[in-house]
Amino acid sequence: MADTETLQIKNVHKTFRVGKQDIDVLEDINLNVSAGEFVSVIGASGCGKTTFLRLLVGLEGEYQGDILLNGKRLNGPSINRGIVFQNHRLLPWLTIEKNVGLGLESKKGNNKAQIVQDHIDLVGLKGFCKSYPYQLSGGMSQRAAIARALVNRPEILLLDEPLGALDSLTRMYMQNELERIWKLENITAVMVTHDVEEAVYLSDRIVIMSCRPGKIKRIIPVPLSRPRDRASYDFMRIKEEVLKEFHLQAEEHFAYSI
Amino acid sequence: MNYLDYVSRKISDVYSKSIVLLIIFAAWWLVGAYKLADPTILPPPSKILRTLLELAKEGDLVFHIKMSILRVIKGFLIGGTLGFVLGILMGLSKTAEKLVGPLFHAVRQVPLLGWMPLIVLWCGIGETSKVVFIAIGALYPMVLNTFEGVRGISREYLEVARVFEFKQLKLITTIILPAALPNILTGVRFSLTISWMLVVGAEIFSVSAGGLGDMIWSARDTFRMDIVIVGLIIITLIGITLSKSVKLLETYFLQWRKTSH
Repeated sequence: MADTETLQIKNVHKTFRVGKQDIDVLEDINLNVSAGEFVSVIGASGCGKTTFLRLLVGLEGEYQGDILLNGKRLNGPSINRGIVFQNHRLLPWLTIEKNVGLGLESKKGNNKAQIVQDHIDLVGLKGFCKSYPYQLSGGMSQRAAIARALVNRPEILLLDEPLGALDSLTRMYMQNELERIWKLENITAVMVTHDVEEAVYLSDRIVIMSCRPGKIKRIIPVPLSRPRDRASYDFMRIKEEVLKEFHLQAEEHFAYSI
Repeated sequence: MNYLDYVSRKISDVYSKSIVLLIIFAAWWLVGAYKLADPTILPPPSKILRTLLELAKEGDLVFHIKMSILRVIKGFLIGGTLGFVLGILMGLSKTAEKLVGPLFHAVRQVPLLGWMPLIVLWCGIGETSKVVFIAIGALYPMVLNTFEGVRGISREYLEVARVFEFKQLKLITTIILPAALPNILTGVRFSLTISWMLVVGAEIFSVSAGGLGDMIWSARDTFRMDIVIVGLIIITLIGITLSKSVKLLETYFLQWRKTSH
């Protein structure tokens, strides 16, 4: 393939119809994500970042412009894209094992049970195969959700505020885990978050969105080696840089964005 | 909180639950003991016990219970299954809901006893009409609860199904049925208890062919109030057992529904 870009987003517009009015939610989104890259999208609540991710998942229906994944225009959801939702959305009536294997079709030559087991091990849930979601903590449920998203070896991993519902300690711990899994699987990832530190810690690039309509305001690269030191000068400097974008835009939105 | 506290709380719990029952029973016993009422109208508890043992020994009781239960099973299976299918269809398809819904809700307004003349005309006064009567009663709660269950499924789970590109059948078996199961089982419970209430009515209304309803109705004709009361007690006990059994099924099948953290 001539293009090294896994994901190409070209002039994407998205409008919602509310009553008789069309409301622009996303305007003129252009973004390329290379293979193996980790990109975060950050913005104040209501800026369309979740809509943006749902477009990538294929749950938002029609849009203007093009979203190309490995050269093919996205049209509806597909098992080629792994998705982790904010609340884990595990099916409560299935065991962890069955939840993880949910999207895995049995094909010839693939050992379904083994693939499921490998992914459960990957996310560190060994021994919880037969547990039900209610028996797992929030962090563990989200691990299972990550395993479920990866089980089909998707071309891209989409994360919609995956750690947003966790307490801050678990969240930091899960950020390390997410980084480990991302590296190990060598997968392209796009994550929506409202947590600046999380974005700086995990991303190769941070896309900052402005509000109403949602537009890409700035893209900040994070050229730090991994694993990153949250207390280092460079880390703090980039964090400041991201935060500054929100200061300038609107004072009152600052509180939401962190 | 210590063990004694627990025991005393447990005792007071049982006490408060049974106190009214005990008072009524004591009053009943006193009326009998002091001959305050005609024993043919209100036989004393001891007479009831004797009649119960007598009926049990002669095999009458088992026969009547068996007849009633068989009718309930037939009626419930027919009405319940039909209701389940109808509920699923209306839940899954807006078209089905539009086609069948209004008719269903209109027909539902007819009191069950209102069906009796029609049923008797169409099905006679034999076994069929009894089963049909029960089936109609069993149908409604099943349709309503199944429909609610299917419609109430969270959009979040349906999106999971879309993301994983589930086919229609897999969507139904993996997501829709399990998610609707709590409501479906509630439907089963209502459906079964209503069937049990209706069987007594059905047996009173049509020709005598055994069954607890028949037993108490015939006993009324021969002025055997003791048999009537025995019949009522048995009907109540079986009704409670049916409802509790489905409750047990619910706790067994819905273990996953425990609250998460």
